[in-house]
Amino acid sequence: MNPTTVDVPELLAPLGEPADVLRNAGGWWAVRPRLDVRAMAGLMRDHEVRLVTISARPAPDGGHILIYHWNVGSAVLNICTVIPEGGQAVTIADLLPAADWAEREIRDYYGLEFTGRTRTPTLMLREGDPAGLFSRTADVGRETDPAATARRAAEAEEGEAK
Amino acid sequence: MSTVVPMGPFHPALEEPYKIEVTCDGERITDADISVGFNFRGVEWLAERKTYTQDLALLERICGICSNVHTMSFSRAVEQLAGIEVPERAQYIRVVVAETERLHSHLLWAGVAANLIGFETLFMTCFGLREQLMDVLEAISGNRVNYAMNRPGGVSRDIEDPRAVLAAVRNVREVVTRQLIPVFTADRTVRARCSGVGVLTRADALAFGAVGPLARASGVAQDIRRSHPYEAYDRLEFDVPVREEGDVFARIVVRALEIVESCRIIEQAVEAMPEGDIMGDPFMDDVPAGEACVRIEGPRGELLYYVVSDESVTPARVRVRTPTFANMPTAKAMVIGQSLSDLGLIQASIDPCYSCTDR
Repeated sequence: MNPTTVDVPELLAPLGEPADVLRNAGGWWAVRPRLDVRAMAGLMRDHEVRLVTISARPAPDGGHILIYHWNVGSAVLNICTVIPEGGQAVTIADLLPAADWAEREIRDYYGLEFTGRTRTPTLMLREGDPAGLFSRTADVGRETDPAATARRAAEAEEGEAK
Repeated sequence: MSTVVPMGPFHPALEEPYKIEVTCDGERITDADISVGFNFRGVEWLAERKTYTQDLALLERICGICSNVHTMSFSRAVEQLAGIEVPERAQYIRVVVAETERLHSHLLWAGVAANLIGFETLFMTCFGLREQLMDVLEAISGNRVNYAMNRPGGVSRDIEDPRAVLAAVRNVREVVTRQLIPVFTADRTVRARCSGVGVLTRADALAFGAVGPLARASGVAQDIRRSHPYEAYDRLEFDVPVREEGDVFARIVVRALEIVESCRIIEQAVEAMPEGDIMGDPFMDDVPAGEACVRIEGPRGELLYYVVSDESVTPARVRVRTPTFANMPTAKAMVIGQSLSDLGLIQASIDPCYSCTDR
């Protein structure tokens, strides 16, 4: 793909859903709440657009935000979509193997399942560990007084020793 | 009858833990499964619980080889969010440190590769050169591994003796050009051992999202320093070596030629570096709400940082996609159809880093 001729809004047009496409120092940003991720993956593959990775983060009102980072010419295109609370994402790993580890890691951290995968082994966690490590421990380590947490841990340790 | 051969988490090619389990039909590999995470430290989780300033120390420790690129990426993400300008001299210093880091990373790899191929004396040559670069980094930063050079708004130390940097880099360039390049690009033994081995096609490189020298050895002509220049790279001249073969030999040649290009970049940067400040206003963990996405070209390839701020003193999200995270899955495409005896060489040709991958 020639970096000088990339028209990102035009590239995304076949995906149907109208979206604001912004550009800043971090690249192109597009928000598509009802994104057909498989159509997106097929489109990008046909245009030889490389998947850089997929990021995830908790959405402010529950659920998760997924960001698909693509290398478009000389810039990065970040396409954001929302997975509502209790919802499932759809895999693109069968279309683009670059997504495999990213999807497995997102499951490890946030417990988000990707439908369409034949299997989703852990990536960073050990086999048998429950998924969603970051979600389960969201409140841990955010205490206003970390020293108090350390003291409680020390007291608990002393109690165990006695 | 198929045989399953597990290699790792501890194995002969590398000193970091990971596991590759290959299925073989006789000597021929028919399938491969890769396991990582043995060094998982939850760095992203930790980064979301520490202040931006504390995160610099944390993220620098993701990797013992390319520690500088992590703080540089994070600093650039914060600068993007907060609209912080970096003084021009600091941009050049960042380039000098980043390229010196690339040199010592590539020379470490070249030494390991030479040893695996059978050139044991070349291993010592590579590590001797690498030692000179470690001295340069120590002279600039005070440290040999975690340099603590980057911070949002600039760099923490100036280059006080540019002539010493130039002398060391010119020596490295001269020895590499005279000794290393001829062996790695023209020696019959290297060619015989590495040509046609572990081929990654251009199509597979794109599908797997391969980056850096690995992708460039498969005909994917992308280098973030060139395609999306940052710091002072748009003011410096350098070539991006690309090969089409996609085999182990092509990866060796690309990295060997990149050593020379990094020397060129450092020499230009040191000579063109303007006088002036190396740091803007003090950074006080004051970051407006927003999200930033930064990519830079690390020694092993493109590194991505995605950082989200909710205006508190700690980032709301820090996502780190390291080059090996993108590159390691390509091993599956490379080893199928290959001889089991080539597995170690093919793995090493990726130049993997599990400390980075496992974060």
